[in-house]
Amino acid sequence: MIEVRDLKKEYLEEETPTLALRGVTFTIEKGEFVSIMGPSGSGKSTLLHILSFLDRPSSGSYTFLGKSIDDMDDKELAHVRNSDMGFVFQSFNLLSRLSVYDNVEIPLLYSGVAPAKRRARIEQSVESVGLSDKLYQEAGKLSGGQKQRVAIARALVTEPDVIFADEPTGNLDSKSGAQIMEILESLNDKGRTIVLVTHETHTAEFADRIIRIKDGVVESDKPVEKSRHSKEEFIK
Amino acid sequence: MLFRDAFKTATRSLTHGKMRSVLTMLGIVIGIASVIVLMSIGQSAQDLILNQVQGIGSNLVVITPGAPSNGKFSAPASAQGIIITTLQMQDVSALQREPSILAVAPLVSGQADVVYGNNSATESYQGVSANMFSVRNLTIGKGSAFTDSDVNSANHVAVIGPDLAKTLFGAYSDPINKTIRIKDVSFRVVGVLSKGGTGAFGVDQGNIVVIPITVAQKELLGISYLNTILVEANPNYDINFVTSRITFELAQDHGITDPNKYDFNIQTQADILSLLGNITSILTLFLAAIASISLIVGGIGIMNIMLVAVTERTREIGLRKAVGATDGDILQQFLIESVLLTFVGGLIGVIAGASIVGAVYLVLSTFTSIGWVFAFPISAVVLGLSVSAVAGIAFGIYPARQAGRKNPIDALRYE
Repeated sequence: MIEVRDLKKEYLEEETPTLALRGVTFTIEKGEFVSIMGPSGSGKSTLLHILSFLDRPSSGSYTFLGKSIDDMDDKELAHVRNSDMGFVFQSFNLLSRLSVYDNVEIPLLYSGVAPAKRRARIEQSVESVGLSDKLYQEAGKLSGGQKQRVAIARALVTEPDVIFADEPTGNLDSKSGAQIMEILESLNDKGRTIVLVTHETHTAEFADRIIRIKDGVVESDKPVEKSRHSKEEFIK
Repeated sequence: MLFRDAFKTATRSLTHGKMRSVLTMLGIVIGIASVIVLMSIGQSAQDLILNQVQGIGSNLVVITPGAPSNGKFSAPASAQGIIITTLQMQDVSALQREPSILAVAPLVSGQADVVYGNNSATESYQGVSANMFSVRNLTIGKGSAFTDSDVNSANHVAVIGPDLAKTLFGAYSDPINKTIRIKDVSFRVVGVLSKGGTGAFGVDQGNIVVIPITVAQKELLGISYLNTILVEANPNYDINFVTSRITFELAQDHGITDPNKYDFNIQTQADILSLLGNITSILTLFLAAIASISLIVGGIGIMNIMLVAVTERTREIGLRKAVGATDGDILQQFLIESVLLTFVGGLIGVIAGASIVGAVYLVLSTFTSIGWVFAFPISAVVLGLSVSAVAGIAFGIYPARQAGRKNPIDALRYE
């Protein structure tokens, strides 16, 4: 589903070229739950931006669902982001003045789903994160954990194949964080591919597999030994 | 993105900052309202002026001395300080024989102190033939006009305007048969004109003194030529035919065969109307141009606010792009916002402008005797609304493009 080969990304930082990714290669299969870990400055965010079509690599190849990023123009990238990808950010990125309903509707505005068919999908999405009773509340007035659940509902509403989550628990207390991780886990159980970027080990261990990035290269790529232990520790 | 959704999104973000939207719109409201007000006042002034010219009658032909300006209107030679003596009384007799002409009225004019007792005023006087009253539609309020025999025997009689009568004799005293002095020549007042105000040719009829042409020529001006000949054409003839007949008669009378050497100028009401129409249209345009300055200022206000909005909503833009909005979707959203601002502003401006125009009309028609015409050109409304919509695009496109081009990664990180 996701296949990157020798991916490189160069930035110009104050006119000096900086290599954020120095040749990254891996594949992610459909239905996997993968964590990308690394210290800050490791290049993990850059990698996520490329994987989620928000940025293009300087060299190397990236194929998503069999199509190479090089063959797509910006409009097609926007279309794929809309229909095949869902996004969950550390800072939620909700429009705080809009209601939960209107926030979840945003991706549908760009997807061409007819207005009449939207309501059911929005309601279903919001229900899946357990916020049906908050449907018409202003998003800005929700708690952090609730906001992130709205963000997940927004990511789900276009029924994407993959969800990219960038430090989704970073702004949350551990209890809300655990709830969010459980939601992501249950989504994965239903067959959705999840790509999670985090620097916290206990969050990363919700995944089946952890790819560690350091200085722009893959340091290790290992499956997670599933132990209830670490999760319970996290929930505490 | 569906236009319907884009429209909804735009109205929603505008109503979230109501105060800001209203203040931003105010610039456009004022701009459009002033364009509307000035255009309609210009139109009213134009109608008023043209009505007055039409008041002199469409069969009136004005002959002035000096070379013709080939259909273009120019100031009479006399007004340019050049004394041309080519129009004579014999021209009047020659024209009177022409069957396509009903009446010929010669005119000389000057300016002098008009004195009664201790009161005096510096006013224009006109020496005219007796038929001038009917040719010019001058109506007598008190007393009577002078007659042909007054003119022929050079009697010292005068008809004065109502405002001058008030100045000289006061509001309650009867001027008839009182004696006034112009340049130390005595005149017996025989009549007072009924109507004041500014008449055709810009003469203030309220303050005019009309005396027999014979007296004016010999005793006040010491001349034998004429300043103007007014001709009332026979309405059974085409006005162009009449002017050609006048040209023929005068050329023959003056012994001129080369049309380039004609020493007289013939103007019809149509000539004057078209000239005045041109002048007032230019005036209206000029007014509208001044008003558009405020429109530009309003537009820049819109641009400014939209740029602020784009910066403030950087994260929103980032998010929308991340979940699938294209550059075009974002551009469309911000463009709709600015067009909506200017269009609604324009609509309010049109309504405000119309109300002001109506109020001006009410005030002028209630409190003054000016025959103010209510004119509310539809063109001004169409112009106002389209200009405001165009201003929304023109001043919104730059901020909208800025928004559309934002890189989603930077936009999402923006604090």
